[in-house]
Amino acid sequence: MPITDKSILSRLYFVAGCMFLLALAIGVKLVGIQFIDGDKYRALSQKRTIKNFTIEPKRGNLYSDDGSLLATSVTKYDIRFDALTPSRAVFEDHIKPLSDSLSTVLGRPSSYYQNLMKEARIEKNRYLLIARDLGYTKYMQIKGFPMFNLGPYKGGFIVEQETQREYPLGGIAHRSVGYERENGPSVGLEGAFGQFLRGEEGHRLKQKIAQGQWKPITDYNEIEPKDGYDVVSTINVNIQDIAHHALLTQLEKYKAMHGTVVVMEVKTGEIKAISNLGRTSGGKYFERLNYAVGESHEPGSTFKLFSMIAALEDHAVDTSDVIDTGKGVISFYGKKVRDSKWGGYGELSVSDILVRSSNVGIVKIIDDFYGDQPEKFVNRLYNMGLNDKLGLAIKGEGVPYIPHPNDKERWSGIALQWMAYGYGVSMTPLQTLAFYNAVANDGELLKPRLIKEVRDWDKVIHKFDKEVLNPSICSSETLKKVQAMLENVVKSDYGTGHGLYSENFSMAGKTGTAQKNYADKSKLKYISSFAGYFPADEPKYSCIVVIHEPDKGVGYYGADVSGPVFKAIAQKIYINSPLIDTIDELNKEDSDLLEDYKSYYAKVKQNNSIIPNVKGMSGMDAVSILENLGLRVKIQGSNGGTVESQSLESGAKVESDKTIVLKLT
Amino acid sequence: MQEIFKNIKGDKAIWAVVALLALFSFLPVYSASTNLVYVVGSGTTFGYLLKHGFLLLLGLGIIYAIHQIPYNYFKGLSIIAMPITILLLVYTLAQGTTIGGANASRWIQVPFVGISFQPSTLASIVLLTHVARYLSKMKNQTIRFKDSILPLWIPVFVFLVLILPANFSTTAILFFMVLVLCFLGGYPWKYLMAVVGAGVVVLSMFVLTAKAFPGLFPNRVDTWINRVENFADGKDTGEDYQIERAKIAIATGGVVGVGAGKSIMKNFLPQSSSDFIYAIIVEEYGLVGGFVIIAIYLLLLFRIIIVAHKANSTFGKLLVIAVGLPIVFQAFINMAVAVELLPVTGQTLPLISSGGTSIWMTCLAIGIILSVSSKRQEELELEEQDIDNQNPLDILSEQL
Repeated sequence: MPITDKSILSRLYFVAGCMFLLALAIGVKLVGIQFIDGDKYRALSQKRTIKNFTIEPKRGNLYSDDGSLLATSVTKYDIRFDALTPSRAVFEDHIKPLSDSLSTVLGRPSSYYQNLMKEARIEKNRYLLIARDLGYTKYMQIKGFPMFNLGPYKGGFIVEQETQREYPLGGIAHRSVGYERENGPSVGLEGAFGQFLRGEEGHRLKQKIAQGQWKPITDYNEIEPKDGYDVVSTINVNIQDIAHHALLTQLEKYKAMHGTVVVMEVKTGEIKAISNLGRTSGGKYFERLNYAVGESHEPGSTFKLFSMIAALEDHAVDTSDVIDTGKGVISFYGKKVRDSKWGGYGELSVSDILVRSSNVGIVKIIDDFYGDQPEKFVNRLYNMGLNDKLGLAIKGEGVPYIPHPNDKERWSGIALQWMAYGYGVSMTPLQTLAFYNAVANDGELLKPRLIKEVRDWDKVIHKFDKEVLNPSICSSETLKKVQAMLENVVKSDYGTGHGLYSENFSMAGKTGTAQKNYADKSKLKYISSFAGYFPADEPKYSCIVVIHEPDKGVGYYGADVSGPVFKAIAQKIYINSPLIDTIDELNKEDSDLLEDYKSYYAKVKQNNSIIPNVKGMSGMDAVSILENLGLRVKIQGSNGGTVESQSLESGAKVESDKTIVLKLT
Repeated sequence: MQEIFKNIKGDKAIWAVVALLALFSFLPVYSASTNLVYVVGSGTTFGYLLKHGFLLLLGLGIIYAIHQIPYNYFKGLSIIAMPITILLLVYTLAQGTTIGGANASRWIQVPFVGISFQPSTLASIVLLTHVARYLSKMKNQTIRFKDSILPLWIPVFVFLVLILPANFSTTAILFFMVLVLCFLGGYPWKYLMAVVGAGVVVLSMFVLTAKAFPGLFPNRVDTWINRVENFADGKDTGEDYQIERAKIAIATGGVVGVGAGKSIMKNFLPQSSSDFIYAIIVEEYGLVGGFVIIAIYLLLLFRIIIVAHKANSTFGKLLVIAVGLPIVFQAFINMAVAVELLPVTGQTLPLISSGGTSIWMTCLAIGIILSVSSKRQEELELEEQDIDNQNPLDILSEQL
């Protein structure tokens, strides 16, 4: 079949037409993708390539009341080495100087680092750990070392940073400073004030540019991270330190199970120190649990104060009333209440019942007056707020428990009597302290506080003032009476806390020796406590010390076990507080002194080549003058006297290195 | 310099299209090279730009050199080139390079230069030139199938079978182009249908053998089946992530595009600087850019038709069509893949995609077209009337 050029061309037009249709189809499809499926693919693009990255804010600092750091965030650096990145020449040239430098900073021998890195290169390790948790200074130093200074792409230098929380006080107040965990319990100040310290996360949109590589889309963050605020707590580092060590000393001495001490500022309710030490299996003590806040237990004798307040408020008795405590034993339904003194105290005034901590006495008072109306007593305690939680910011506050007669299940025939001296009720140390503080603070019950203010740099964001839970727990007459009693516990010769007495400073408080596990005599343990405040007349700080399960062989009375902690704190705070004494006669002239000085001055100004007459002068002045002339002075007689005679006569020429003997009276 | 410009002959529009595409190609190639640098992790972006410039310059040199050859010489050249090309194809296949277990021996390493070369592209031009020559020779005769087997179909079969194991799409396109050329050259319909039937049978046998004896020889049969299935099922599965990303790129571009160099998908599209460059162009330059590129290729097609029209010999016409149509066809195939009109193939966008073989062989084809359009053959024939030329290539070409 012959073919002409013309038929070739017409067929070519047909083929070209087909191609044009193909091009048209491509164009249509292109428009289709953009306008019909466009939204779907654009959304897919967002999903595949854009991600919202979280920027962690910097956590705020936690300060003590005077601005010392309790907790702060510090950036730490891990140094790693990609052993494959450096070229052979670079590696060979720098391995020695690098190892030498690392050795000087990190302490291990140079050969160690050389072997480490050489092995890593053989094993093709691209992530060799060189050092962990370095501070900024060391990181910068290492960054400048040979090979590492070539950077990540030539030197194989890898740095990873992370923010760590540091606690400059270390183990002291560890539990109270606490920590915050994202998953799991957060405790202490860090946990309680997390909302302030935490800050707000920022966001930054980033675009994926390759596997594992993201680039920020804009120059700024979509949401700037807000750094956490600084929190100024009420903790005072000095008092905390004193409390910690005083408690530790006693715990070690008495081999106790655990103990707690809390110091509170009377007028404000600020907690100045809170220490909780528990014994580990190894016999050492560490901040473990927040016993002060969380552990509700039978308070024992420290509770007698509240019974006494109730009785005085209801005018059941007055301080001078005399109660016969008999032989120190009284029984109810076959159960006996005993006094700690064998044979009993006999007749005691109401005041002395508290001072001597007579169980029989306080039980008798309460039983006599409230025996047929126990709800009146319980309601009185309830009205004071003793059965309410304090509502602390710190998590895990223990629940106080005071049974009510209407609660048939928990109430019993002896509940009232036992409650009178602190059994069958339950309170945490901090709750007890709050009420002792109220007594010291003229009846005003304050909420214990751990936070002073929240700051953003130097700007105060939120200031916390004292919170009054109950403006008056009892009448001022009652208050004065119990204040006097508490003072006498320490001051009075027969007070249970007299062992703490010091003539230098005054204290007031109440001892407590509660039995624990008393149902089974073989397991009987004690809780020794001391709650009070100081100075007694113008209370500044209140303090409670509770020590659980001291070794009975060493001692268990509250005054012996816990009292010394209280005293140590009071004493140290006193010593550290400046005494103010006014001296009025600073500029008054003493005529005798003036005369002495004048004669001395005259002698000094004399011609210094002639020995002066020092007879009648004080020995000290004479020695000074003569030695200044170059003579050797020998003294006979007492040091403080005046000169009776001199071996070289006055008027003679001074010859240096000659010895002159002075006879003093 | 002046001399060079004086010697530039042929269709000025084709020269312009080539220059335009070559200049434009720097933009998407430079932009997409970040994929290779930062994702694959080889070379530098400037290095790729320089390399692309070098390849283009060499390509222009090829066009310039080729277009000075009187086109009748290509008859003889194709005869000489055929055995060489077959050897190259055999050598390439024998290398047995595999990608993930599949045969991907498409390239041979050019010694000393450090550039890889894809013989199948050269083979296309050589084979099509050969077919054009055969058809033009037979134009005044009635072709009998029996007679055409040895001179036409045996070479076609040998070429296709050598390319097929490693590169199905090139084989298919080449086969299709041969058929189109035969159709244009007046090869009888009924024989063409028989050849298509034979082609299908050969392909089926190849696939079946590969399926039945997977270990027998390295092949890419599974890849082809996957690609076709992914295309056919019409769902966006994880398998066709390439096409999904290409479409994301196109959709992101909008009407005017995100701007030069601002493509995002370039980093997620494998082969974004070659096989999927059209998607990147649309992303960066929008619908406008996409249509302009289509228009430029249509213009090239138009000029090829003009050149074919103007050529005053049948061989000239068929030669222009034989080497010109595949350029445009390949361009549209590349675009059709990006918009999911066709399943994924490894076809580049001629003159824009980076890659030495693609650029040079396109330039070779363009040079041939320009040679036809420059009327050097006519000049030569005029000269020959005066001088008795004894150029051996001339004599060889005349006899064929």
